[in-house]
Amino acid sequence: MSVRNWLSSRLAAFRERRDREKDLDRELKAHLDLEAEEQQESGLSPEEARYAARRAFGNTTLVQEDVHAIWNLGWLERFQRDVKYAARSLRTNPVFTLVAVLTLALGIGANTAIFSTIDALMLRPLPFSEADQLVRIYSTKNGIPIRGTSAAGGPSVLDMRDFAQNSHSFQKMVAYDAWRKNVSFGNSAEPEQMRVGLVPAAYFEVLDVQPIMGRLFTEDENQEGKHYVAAICARLWKDRFAGDGAILGRKVRINDELYTIVAVMPDVIPEWMESARVGPIEVWTPFAPSSALSESSRGARGDFALARMKPGVSLEQAQADLSAIAARLGAEYPVDEGIGVAVKRLSDTRVGTLRPMLFLLMGAVSLILLIACVNLANLLLARNSARQRELSVRAALGAGRGALIRQLLAETLLLSLIGGAVGLALAQIGLASLTRMHPANLSQLDSIGIDWRVLAFTVLVSLATSLLFGVGPALTGTRLNLVDALKQGGRSGSSGRPTQRVRNLLVVTEMAMSLMLLVGATLLVRSIMLLDHQHLGIRQDHLLKGHIYVPGVHYPNPGAITRFCDEFATRVRALPGIIDATVTTVYPPNNGWTQMLNIPGHPFTRIQDIPSAQFGVADSHFLRTLGIPLIQGRDFAESDSATSPPVALIGEEFKSRYFPTEDPIGRQIHIGPPPFLQIAPGANISDSAEVTIIGVVGDFRNAGLAHPPEPQITVLYSQHPAVNYGFKDIVIRTASEPRLLVPEIRRQLHELDPDMPFAEVQTMEELVLAQTGGQRFTTILLASFAAAGLLLAVVGIYGVVSFLVTQRKQELAVRIALGASRVTVLWLVLKQGLEMATIGAAIGLFGAWATQKLTSGLLFGISPVDPVTFAGAAVFLLTVAAIASAIPGARVMTIDPAQTLRQE
Amino acid sequence: MKPRNTVEKTALLQGTLDMLILRTLLFGPAHGHQIAKHIQRTTEDVLQVEHGSLYPALHRMERKGWIIPKWEMAKERNREFKYYRLTPPGRKQLAHEESKWKQLAAAVATVMWPAPGDPS
Repeated sequence: MSVRNWLSSRLAAFRERRDREKDLDRELKAHLDLEAEEQQESGLSPEEARYAARRAFGNTTLVQEDVHAIWNLGWLERFQRDVKYAARSLRTNPVFTLVAVLTLALGIGANTAIFSTIDALMLRPLPFSEADQLVRIYSTKNGIPIRGTSAAGGPSVLDMRDFAQNSHSFQKMVAYDAWRKNVSFGNSAEPEQMRVGLVPAAYFEVLDVQPIMGRLFTEDENQEGKHYVAAICARLWKDRFAGDGAILGRKVRINDELYTIVAVMPDVIPEWMESARVGPIEVWTPFAPSSALSESSRGARGDFALARMKPGVSLEQAQADLSAIAARLGAEYPVDEGIGVAVKRLSDTRVGTLRPMLFLLMGAVSLILLIACVNLANLLLARNSARQRELSVRAALGAGRGALIRQLLAETLLLSLIGGAVGLALAQIGLASLTRMHPANLSQLDSIGIDWRVLAFTVLVSLATSLLFGVGPALTGTRLNLVDALKQGGRSGSSGRPTQRVRNLLVVTEMAMSLMLLVGATLLVRSIMLLDHQHLGIRQDHLLKGHIYVPGVHYPNPGAITRFCDEFATRVRALPGIIDATVTTVYPPNNGWTQMLNIPGHPFTRIQDIPSAQFGVADSHFLRTLGIPLIQGRDFAESDSATSPPVALIGEEFKSRYFPTEDPIGRQIHIGPPPFLQIAPGANISDSAEVTIIGVVGDFRNAGLAHPPEPQITVLYSQHPAVNYGFKDIVIRTASEPRLLVPEIRRQLHELDPDMPFAEVQTMEELVLAQTGGQRFTTILLASFAAAGLLLAVVGIYGVVSFLVTQRKQELAVRIALGASRVTVLWLVLKQGLEMATIGAAIGLFGAWATQKLTSGLLFGISPVDPVTFAGAAVFLLTVAAIASAIPGARVMTIDPAQTLRQE
Repeated sequence: MKPRNTVEKTALLQGTLDMLILRTLLFGPAHGHQIAKHIQRTTEDVLQVEHGSLYPALHRMERKGWIIPKWEMAKERNREFKYYRLTPPGRKQLAHEESKWKQLAAAVATVMWPAPGDPS
């Protein structure tokens, strides 16, 4: 039925009803008039006659209502009436209504907020056609993905080529990359560092994304030298080129080389696809890896890999297909030994490390909602028992039990819907502040919002909630014994033993749930505190870092790169307020560049036994700037130059792993893979690989905040031209607030090269904070949920104890009258509250223990069943529960036995 | 208070009132006041039809299609009244209720005034 039809039929029904009412009025009036005339004829005055007629006729309104009921016995009418009564009954009890609505709003709001997060991060369909055919391919070593959950970490280009040729499950596959490059547009002076996608046309073909204008790259353009073409996204086209219709053919400068724009792509590829922390990729150029297709690059893994499966092929089939090929490659090429593949649906890769956190949070908010329901059920039980007289009167007047239940449920439904609406508003506010917290690895949070899915979820949750907390009380509340209830006269109805037991059980449940939340939140908070106070192995304060890229066009050889970096560092060191500066590729807490080593005395037979270490290149100011202690030997010196023998500094972990008993100083080691592995030039430093260890230095975090330092070896880039790439960071130690010096540092850089952006500027504190961003996000959320849960539980126990006090008032008064001390009597009441809290706490501890899997992955340096946390949380909960019971309990102290007993 | 009030109250059970109204309309169209008056007069004031029951009953029967209303000018009063007419289903219903009532009355009678010679 169309909306218009429906509307007109509703209108017609309305008109019909109105007409019928008018008709009835007229009918009754005619009758009354006639009656009056007859009375008048029998001798009464007109006035008297009219009164007599009315008297004879009886209650017209009642007649009208009865007639009305005859015409409208539809369920909708009944429902409307129920809702009307419900609204009236809620209005007459505003305190109850307010408490109930707020409780519900809290529960439903928290659920809505987390659900919209999950919706945005996991549930919304990908913006691609047939998106479930899209998969990402990861390279694994001994079954573990080589780059963890990072989207990069695909097989080498050569392996991908063999996969594509030999597999049967895929329509198309693509290997591609994304690099930070210096980009400037003809019309803007300021160069920027942007992530540029290096993609063959197949990238867009796999995703099935067509250009808005122009064409995809050709196969030819994937060759070095022919690759000077670029595609830009529509956003860039509008912002930087004002949507210029003649955009094709214009130039964009990337790393000081000119590229011709050949296509404008739609803005559909989401940011998380290449796990960019710096925004989405907006410029693409062809993937022209000069040597990727030579056999020596087979081991060069770590690019991105995407594929589209054939229709009807399952993930398992695709996985089995590629695994078989990977096994063959592993047998054929030593460098592929132990290397496998993992195929993952693209849609499943979007949350990465956040998945366990989201599950934890969803669990937490469900607990909150349950606690809210329990509280409401309790409130309703109390209210219904207080209303027994009202209900009994209704029943006595002929309302069936069904009608009573229906009416009570209408009340809870109304409560839930109002609570849901308020909850939705709360969720909006909550989400706004959530997005402001915006952890770096949660770029998708930007797209969080209330959409129809979220709305549907909220309505569903509200309905389920009203059933959950409403049905029980409605059933018990309407199990009436009319005679008893009415006979009790004015005394507020007392609930029977079974009802009381239910209420106690509910309080126990909510105590248990809120303790679970409390334990989880405490664990996470302690974990974050441990992470924050993690010693990085450096002096963390007053440290600034920024990224530069020294492009090969202007700086064609390693010597030129060294000269530029040295000059930049020298200029920065000369600035006022700066203590020292070093150009380096390594700084805590992450490094991520590993090198295989050949250490005399460490023979190996298997590929996984080859010694390896975290590797970094720096200048001679490295140790001093970062504040890493020198433990043994000497530091780098200005005299260690391109022409002197290469030297290296190793960390303590390196020493204890590879030189546990010997003195490493003066020892020569070889950096780079053994010759038989045939690693591509550029990935090793074979031309300068023999280094002499000159010093042992303190370890610093190089494998992430949460992991102990791995063996570290640091060398001078000036001595190793083969690994002296254009990608460099500068780390600067300042005397004052580091951020204030950024403009001056940037000016120095631009004086050296006006086209070079100073990018990714962060203080060390900011860097560490960004690392723990996701964790912090979860922790703050979970902590606020725990607080909400605790608040609700406290309200719950408070309510039950105060109800108990009211109920037992006479009994307690008798006790006092008979000589019991008031403290004894107070204890009697407190004991009940504490008993419930203790049982609840015990169950909660068990629950926390049983669900340790949920938190274990998110914790650092603390066990998910940490006894101190468990005990502390339990004691805290019991204390709070004791106070919450003591407040209503204290009323016992003021009981005047004489007065109380006389009242009855 | 006159004793007949109790008579009326117990006698006018729902089905009974419907039957009486239908029977009244068998003589021809009538409005609410006439129907009430007619029942009252014919039973010599034993049955008083309360308006609170009359109008709901009339509308219920209208809804069921047993009677059909029409606003018509009353000859002697020069005013419009809502006249109810019996429909064919209404006639059928009357016959049905009448036979039911006869059975009931006969049954009650046998209990109340057993025929001579009855063992009880």
